[in-house]
Amino acid sequence: MKLRMHMPRVAAAGLLGAIALTGCAEPLEDTIVVGLSADITTFEPGMISSRDNANIARHIFASLFTLTAEGEHVPELAHTLEISDDGTSYVYTLNEGLTCHDGEPLTAEDVAYVFNRIADPANRFTGNTPGFVFTSIGFVNAEALDDLRVRVDIAQKNPIAFGLMTEVYIHCKDAYEAMTLDEAASNPVGSGSYRLASWTRGSEVVLEKVREPGNFQRIAWRIIPEASTRTAELIAGNVDIITNVVPEQVEAIDGSGRAEVQVVSGTRRMYLGFNLSDEHARMPGGDAIQDPRVRRALQYAVDVPTICRQLLSVECERATSLVNPPNGNASLTPYPYDPERAERLLDEAGWRRGANGTRFSIRLQAGQGRYVNDVNVVLAIAQYLEDVGLDIDLELMEWASVYTPLLRERQAGPLFFLGTGGGLWSPIYDMTDLAQVGSGTNYTHWDDPRWFDRWPDVVNAETPEARRVVLDEMLQVFHDDGPWLLLYFQPDFYGVSNRIAWQARRDEHVEIFEARLK
Amino acid sequence: MSDHTAEGLVLSNPRGSGFRREAERAVRVMVNARWPIFAVVFLLLAAFAAVFGAWLAPFDPNRQNLVLRLAAPMAAGPDGGVFWLGSDALGRDVFSRLLYGARVSLTVGFAAITVGGTIGIVAGLLAGYFGGWVDDVIMRLGDIQLAFPFILLAIMFLVVLGSGVWNLILVLGVGQWVTYARIVRADTLSLREKEFVEAARALGDSTPSIIFRTILPNILAPLTVIASFNVASVILSEAALSFLGLGVPPEVPTWGSMLAESRDTLVANKWWLAVFPGVAIMLTVLSFNILGDWLRDFLDPRLRERT
Amino acid sequence: MGAYVVRRLLQSVVVVIGVTLVTFLALQAGGDPTYLFVSERASLEEIEATRRALGFDRPLHVQYLSFVGDLARGDFGQSLSYRQPAMEIVLEALPATVELTVFAMVFALLLAIPLGVLAAIHRGTAWDGSITTFSMLGQSIPSFWMGIMMILFFGLYMRLFPISGNVPFLAPLLSGDVVTAFTNLPRTIFHLVLPGIAVGTYSLARNTRLVRSSLLEVLEQDYVRTARSKGLRERRVLIHHALRNAWLPVVTIVGLEFGFLLGGVVVVETVFSYPGIGRLLFAAINQRDIPLVQAGVVLLAGIFIVLNLVVDLVYLRLDPRVKLAGGRG
Repeated sequence: MKLRMHMPRVAAAGLLGAIALTGCAEPLEDTIVVGLSADITTFEPGMISSRDNANIARHIFASLFTLTAEGEHVPELAHTLEISDDGTSYVYTLNEGLTCHDGEPLTAEDVAYVFNRIADPANRFTGNTPGFVFTSIGFVNAEALDDLRVRVDIAQKNPIAFGLMTEVYIHCKDAYEAMTLDEAASNPVGSGSYRLASWTRGSEVVLEKVREPGNFQRIAWRIIPEASTRTAELIAGNVDIITNVVPEQVEAIDGSGRAEVQVVSGTRRMYLGFNLSDEHARMPGGDAIQDPRVRRALQYAVDVPTICRQLLSVECERATSLVNPPNGNASLTPYPYDPERAERLLDEAGWRRGANGTRFSIRLQAGQGRYVNDVNVVLAIAQYLEDVGLDIDLELMEWASVYTPLLRERQAGPLFFLGTGGGLWSPIYDMTDLAQVGSGTNYTHWDDPRWFDRWPDVVNAETPEARRVVLDEMLQVFHDDGPWLLLYFQPDFYGVSNRIAWQARRDEHVEIFEARLK
Repeated sequence: MSDHTAEGLVLSNPRGSGFRREAERAVRVMVNARWPIFAVVFLLLAAFAAVFGAWLAPFDPNRQNLVLRLAAPMAAGPDGGVFWLGSDALGRDVFSRLLYGARVSLTVGFAAITVGGTIGIVAGLLAGYFGGWVDDVIMRLGDIQLAFPFILLAIMFLVVLGSGVWNLILVLGVGQWVTYARIVRADTLSLREKEFVEAARALGDSTPSIIFRTILPNILAPLTVIASFNVASVILSEAALSFLGLGVPPEVPTWGSMLAESRDTLVANKWWLAVFPGVAIMLTVLSFNILGDWLRDFLDPRLRERT
Repeated sequence: MGAYVVRRLLQSVVVVIGVTLVTFLALQAGGDPTYLFVSERASLEEIEATRRALGFDRPLHVQYLSFVGDLARGDFGQSLSYRQPAMEIVLEALPATVELTVFAMVFALLLAIPLGVLAAIHRGTAWDGSITTFSMLGQSIPSFWMGIMMILFFGLYMRLFPISGNVPFLAPLLSGDVVTAFTNLPRTIFHLVLPGIAVGTYSLARNTRLVRSSLLEVLEQDYVRTARSKGLRERRVLIHHALRNAWLPVVTIVGLEFGFLLGGVVVVETVFSYPGIGRLLFAAINQRDIPLVQAGVVLLAGIFIVLNLVVDLVYLRLDPRVKLAGGRG
């Protein structure tokens, strides 16, 4: 009997203890917690390829120059860059007294080692640096000239090589020579202001500050794939910054009084591609979109502002070409939503409505779960196209293993939905998607000579102004007769706790250096 | 809940006993237990919705109205209509989608059971009747499948095959066959030696005839019980796969995919997107479970151990 | 007995090889995964070079045979996306999932037995009715939905439990750090509550019904009636006669339960951002990280097989009438 009397009290004590325990989960003053949606896989500089992975790595590895939020390249480890007259030789001069996390001095020899190591085929690296940067610039070789000067040779003149090379993660030679590739993947020895303190795969990466800049002693990156869980953790105060907030949850976060959502107009260009390959021309609807008048007609058929307002809950930055503002052709305006005009143009192009109200059938392919609210956006686009008389055969596919290969083989289409990462620092960076008709990224097989024949003019232009004229003419062609149904620049949604002062960037880079407590 | 009455006897040969007496007993057991009546009534309603949903639905289930999205229940819809149960993230009518969803969800459930049941029954009959290496191969295949957590197997195949209603049915069906095969095998093993089978053999019946005409009818009864439990678990699996992005294509409404779609709006208090498909699933699963219980009690209380 | 165990283990080898073959064919059928390992703007030559580097340019049977050859030497190969030994990564994720599954199983069994007994001995009363209704409901709620609702209610609104993540107990324990392990333990359990319930509810509901019905059945049996008629007290009858025999089907379930619960963890680990093997393998399948999937699937199959063998042996102890010859496969 006596024992029984105690039971409720014991239970109450247990419950209180439990509540005290949850209290512990609140973030500490010197730690900032960031909730990411996708898992990260490696800290090997040659293997890093996803945006989330790069964002964490960016705090561990410094680079020669770095890209600001405004899209400018500013010195970081190097203070000067000299480019040879023929544009194939880049000489960087490093700051004095640099070191890596293990105390090893960081010299020109180390930088040359970094470049050559990544390019070494024996290492079989497949990350962004070897796979994109080095192939784009045509990397040849890197060599130390003396302690502080390093020369990087590239195959030919390239107006954006300098910008691309800022994406190379710099580290020292001795530490990496001592490690196997396996070891290097999980034990980065970097040159940035944070070092890796712990990594629990699939769960958490903790970085520890070793030098300036940075206002927090620790940055904890937590992997939280489920959007509702991320939002709940933010509102509960356990996480300070979350990426990829679902638009539907913006209101709940803003209304919580504990966090707010920052929406920035991102650099990712969302579009509906028209695959113009011969193979697709033989498919239903594939013949219709060969006609630029049909492509133009469809531009008027989709109500992009409504899609943005309703499904993304913001007014988006509309695309007038494939170039991010403010680098685009300033004289271009976005296509307005005008279904009557779309129908008229389709009639004029010879694609009249048949007895069943249909003009032509066409397949629309898309991946899912990759972009903000992508499934709903695609469903909405399909509805708008059906409203002007198209019969849409919609195929929504698993992103990574089904849609990506299709895309990379340039087989997606005849209509396909895609968002391609862009940049703020150069219109040419955005335009190199279509560097050649045969480029791997020319998913549309577009081959208009008014675009592709102009590239020599761009490279050889005497002055920036002269180059601008050429670029604007190309962008005009792209706007009028291009292979993209132009949608919008993807808005990016970040949830930020009220205790933190931090500004989201437009280029999907998440940098914590400047974040601080309010 | 259902009492298992003393009457619940083994049916040695269902074709032999008086059909009418059996039917009367079935109804009596059901009425006594009460719950099965609710289950049957609900399932009939669902079946009605599945068949006549197209006529009953006030809206085209796929017609979007972006400006009327996430409308609460009873809100005004387009063209003077009413969103009785609210609208979803694309402004589609939840009630209409629920009605159409009945068709797809129940079709997926029944079709998956049919696929799994057919494969399982045939495999079990062959394994039990022939024994030897046939038995070994079939049972080893079953072991291989059971050694996989089902959902991993399903994910693997759906990632590769792509998600579609038929692929889903196939995967969910194939996921079930081992259960049926094992039970059928055990029953066939014991029936193989029974007199009436020996008699058929002595009369010179062909092997397929013995297997499918003589043995099969005598082992079907317990399978109906398992099938009714499995419909419920198939509907749940469909919801889980939808959650992982591997269910039916997003433009096809099913209760599972509607529930999965609702997860982003739960935190925003759009309860109607979750509650209505959730309740539909719950009642269906509940009904099939009750029905399974009742069937089991009716057919043979001793089946309990195996289900 | 020894021969039986050996025979069962030999059968298991066949099963494991079958499992790897199915996995290999399934993942290969969707085309090669090269595209997942090159950047968005990689050129066609770059893609071709990567394909060669990853070995996907070889004929399928060569790829599989080389995999099996390595497997025979205990080498599962390198994870394609992590570039680490695949088995190491899987083993790293296993303890967290074991914690989750064991918690869910304990939750499901510990509650199921009293609830089932209660319902059975009060058959037909309100007790029975509400327990049965509850277990029916428990069998009809999808786990992801329950997970999100619990996060919102118990995590966010009531602030009773952590919303996501885990605190490792087994991992430090296995690496010999006993102090950390036991310091962590209260928080480990605390983090397990919501995901554990989400994983275990379906099993709890099913087991409750199972306990109830097998107990009811035993109570009808002659020897229990005899015991009762001899004037034994109800509780004694229950414990000494009825429950002991009602255990058998429950033990059978436990073995299968593990595999079943493992299926549930894929979804629940995603919802609760719980770093276990389910999420790892789901991601690996999407990434076509074949070595990683293989390592995970072989490990899970191995656990499942061993567990079932153990269950069969326990079963044998509990009920000597079961003959060895048949086995349960």
